[in-house]
Amino acid sequence: MLSQKEVERLYYGLRSHINLQGEEEGQALRALSNEFILRNVNIGESLWDLDSEIGDLHFILEGTFAEYLKRGTHSFILRFYRPGKFAFSEDSLLYSNRSDTYSKALSKAKVAYLPSIHFQNVLRQGGLGVKLMKVLINLSMTEYRNTTYEMLQSSGTNRIHAALEQFPDLLHLIPRRELADYLGISRASLFRSLKEIGHE
Amino acid sequence: MNSGEKVAMRNYFESLPVYSEYFDEAIDAIIAAMDSGIRAEKGRVLLELGATNKDFWFLKDGFLKEMYRSPYSNEDSLFNMIPPSSIFVNEDTLFANRRPLHYFVAYTSVEILRLKEAEYQKLLQQYPILINLLYISGTAEIQRGRRERLNMLRMNKTPDRIVWVQQHRRELYQFMDRMTLAQYVGVSRASLYRAFEKNKKYQF
Repeated sequence: MLSQKEVERLYYGLRSHINLQGEEEGQALRALSNEFILRNVNIGESLWDLDSEIGDLHFILEGTFAEYLKRGTHSFILRFYRPGKFAFSEDSLLYSNRSDTYSKALSKAKVAYLPSIHFQNVLRQGGLGVKLMKVLINLSMTEYRNTTYEMLQSSGTNRIHAALEQFPDLLHLIPRRELADYLGISRASLFRSLKEIGHE
Repeated sequence: MNSGEKVAMRNYFESLPVYSEYFDEAIDAIIAAMDSGIRAEKGRVLLELGATNKDFWFLKDGFLKEMYRSPYSNEDSLFNMIPPSSIFVNEDTLFANRRPLHYFVAYTSVEILRLKEAEYQKLLQQYPILINLLYISGTAEIQRGRRERLNMLRMNKTPDRIVWVQQHRRELYQFMDRMTLAQYVGVSRASLYRAFEKNKKYQF
């Protein structure tokens, strides 16, 4: 169960994105915050698995997660989730499909999650549920936009700068091989660029 | 709107994953509320999408370049190419109530239809569930497109990125000049040329 402090944090996290109309919606959002369940996650444990059909909605309270996409036999990082962010499988939550991605904790973490069934119920009721869905899509779109900015830098050095702007502790979170894949550059190019900016 | 424009709009809605006949009445109402918007010649910046514009725009014909100011370069860069039959909006203004960071330039001559924000609000009152579902489905498609492209940009070999555009964005591949293609796949022109030379396969 979430502590009162965690419920408050979750409530304000949701409220910062949702434009509430009237006292009734405020109460509904508070009730929704109370539906979330606390989960402690160890390094390497997953939030959701590949091919999973369970579309839970997670809110990161502590720790960092990476979402991986599998291409052939190789998995690479699609995006990161940090405290104060929502994490979910787009395939399962938005499209009711099997998930093409999986998410793993990069550090010891604490999340609040809303089970899929509750999320679907809120969505069916319209109003707040629809607003929440719109917010989740908009947040994803914005995040993809920011990451696309990174990836459109043709120089490896600029890509690292752009990525570090979004995730200052990125260099300490993942091995260099994964970092090279994340940035879409070769390992040799990564090491050259890191040396150039004084990180190696 | 003329009949060709109406057909183009209807085809777009029917292509959304959420579409069923249940939506037809709401779709007819949207189409009736839309106007013919604008035509622009190649190279024109769409000033109609100014700082406060929250309208919904539909690119019926032609291609648009979505541009942004990169903090890492002195000139504006290509963010995305918008193909025909796509919805586009001033994302920053619509979602976050702030000045747009992007602007749109006609890559070819274009024909654009518009649903004004005021009309959208009226339709939302009239058909709240259906309009919300169409909104969610439309934005989810934009998001899905971004994720796919991002996956392409993570490929560390330029030839793989070119093949992806050939296979997944065929209409763009056929229309983009090499400089725009290089920007679209996030590589330098030199790297793009090397990739063509290496595989002895060229764009045209």
